[in-house]
Amino acid sequence: MRSSRSIGYLFASPWIITFLIFWLFPLCYSLYLGFTDYRLLRPTYNWVGMDNFVALFSDRAFLEALKNTFIFVLGTIPITTVISLFLALLVDRNFPGRTLFRSGFFMPSITSMVVIALIFTNLYSRGGYICLLSQMVGLTPPENGFLLSHKTALLSIMAMDVWMSVGYYMLLFLAGLKSIPGELYEAADVAGAGSIRKFFHITLPLLKPVALFVIVINTIKSFQVFIEMFVMTKGNYGTSSAVYFIYETGLNRFEFGYASAAAYILFLIIAGFSILQFGLIKQRNTW
Amino acid sequence: MRPAKYLLLAFILVIMIFPLFWMFRVSLAPAALTVTLTSLFSAQYTLLSYYDIFSSGNMLIYLFNSTMVGIVVTLGNILFCFMAGYAFSRYRFIGKNLWFYSVIFVLMIPAHIIIIPLYLLIYKAGMYDTYWALVLPFLVNPIGVFLVKQYIDTLPASMEEAARMDGASELTVLFRVVMPLCRPALAVLAIQGFMTNWNSFLFPLILTSSESVRTLPVGLALYQGHQAIDWPHLMAGSTLAVLPVLVIFLIFQRQIVSGITAGAVKQ
Repeated sequence: MRSSRSIGYLFASPWIITFLIFWLFPLCYSLYLGFTDYRLLRPTYNWVGMDNFVALFSDRAFLEALKNTFIFVLGTIPITTVISLFLALLVDRNFPGRTLFRSGFFMPSITSMVVIALIFTNLYSRGGYICLLSQMVGLTPPENGFLLSHKTALLSIMAMDVWMSVGYYMLLFLAGLKSIPGELYEAADVAGAGSIRKFFHITLPLLKPVALFVIVINTIKSFQVFIEMFVMTKGNYGTSSAVYFIYETGLNRFEFGYASAAAYILFLIIAGFSILQFGLIKQRNTW
Repeated sequence: MRPAKYLLLAFILVIMIFPLFWMFRVSLAPAALTVTLTSLFSAQYTLLSYYDIFSSGNMLIYLFNSTMVGIVVTLGNILFCFMAGYAFSRYRFIGKNLWFYSVIFVLMIPAHIIIIPLYLLIYKAGMYDTYWALVLPFLVNPIGVFLVKQYIDTLPASMEEAARMDGASELTVLFRVVMPLCRPALAVLAIQGFMTNWNSFLFPLILTSSESVRTLPVGLALYQGHQAIDWPHLMAGSTLAVLPVLVIFLIFQRQIVSGITAGAVKQ
């Protein structure tokens, strides 16, 4: 360990400067703005205390955005977690063509979200491929396609999101599966345990830390859902989300103070959830 | 392997790949393709959409901007994350732990909540709608610093000490001795940095407004604003947006996967 202070500081300074200017300052500034009525085109602004926060909780647009965000998070995360674990188990063993399937499943995760949203806008549209397929299995798709209907728009976006992200979490589960010592399974074999017993008594308990990690990062990510709404529905048909509301209020209507307050509420919600989940992880590790 | 399992895997594979395949198929269609179950295989193919993109229009500008910004940001990430990671791993300096906690802190907070202050900051600094806005905030990223620091922690310091004994300067040690040893970590960092930046949407959307500095994802998303969507052109542009990432992925699969799983299992 070197103790030449100035050189260490010098080498770390690009990060330190970036942190101060582009992270710490905006974070503090945002909190300050949340207590003001700052707007574009208004030279002076006032400190309004908690007014923005109070107003937000009676703002139907904000409450709906928040509700949609929660529906999105609570709806996608269990399904994504279960499917990605299932996929990981499917491609875990050594078999010919394994890499092909792994790469194929993972491919949506590296594709640009914008591009995926565009493709699905086409697939979900009236007379699009998915409408066609749902007709084939005897369903009646919405008249104007899946995205232009209050009933199906949010669900369609959620389904797309599950499709897109399972490959990524599959990789994390695969890494977790690799870290389970093979002797445990051999011992179970000797004891005559079937594959279902092995799954519930060995695999699942040992995967708990990875599963919780997957859920935590997926929660943090899902609370920020935005691009899908921006590209596919512009927040219409009951698909507005918290970040969409912040974007719309702050950068289209330029109500900086109000939008900053909304951003802080979202921040506190996400922080609360992550602290809760990290607490769970710690607890599990001591079991 | 039972055939039933292969059948299941193949079925899932089709579901996962189909949308990307559909994008490619539409990009080769002459005009708005009439969707039927068999239109995937119909014989109407043309490269006209690609020709149009490369001969005129803004898509070429977006492509250029994405490439330039991606390269500059990636090079910045390699250099600055390496320097910072090295400092956090090997040096002792005032507030070191505090500054390293700042890396972890930023890793954990959602970037989306600072869009308004960041917009105002860039705007007031006179960088709005310039390349600076697309590059400067992203030159160093916390994941990169973290990755390099963790990697250097596992390297023995003996080679550095030997070089110092021989009278090498700190910069020589940094760039001639340590940097080559870090090549695997820096490769992961470069690939991830480029792919993230290439696909980045929200920040380029809010920090620029004119066509001349617009990146490809933003250009594609806003292209829709026109009355009727011209799907073949849009999908051709999308294919161009996806292609580099797919190629990089196919070449560097191992590094990409190791980068993703690095943080997951050591929990």
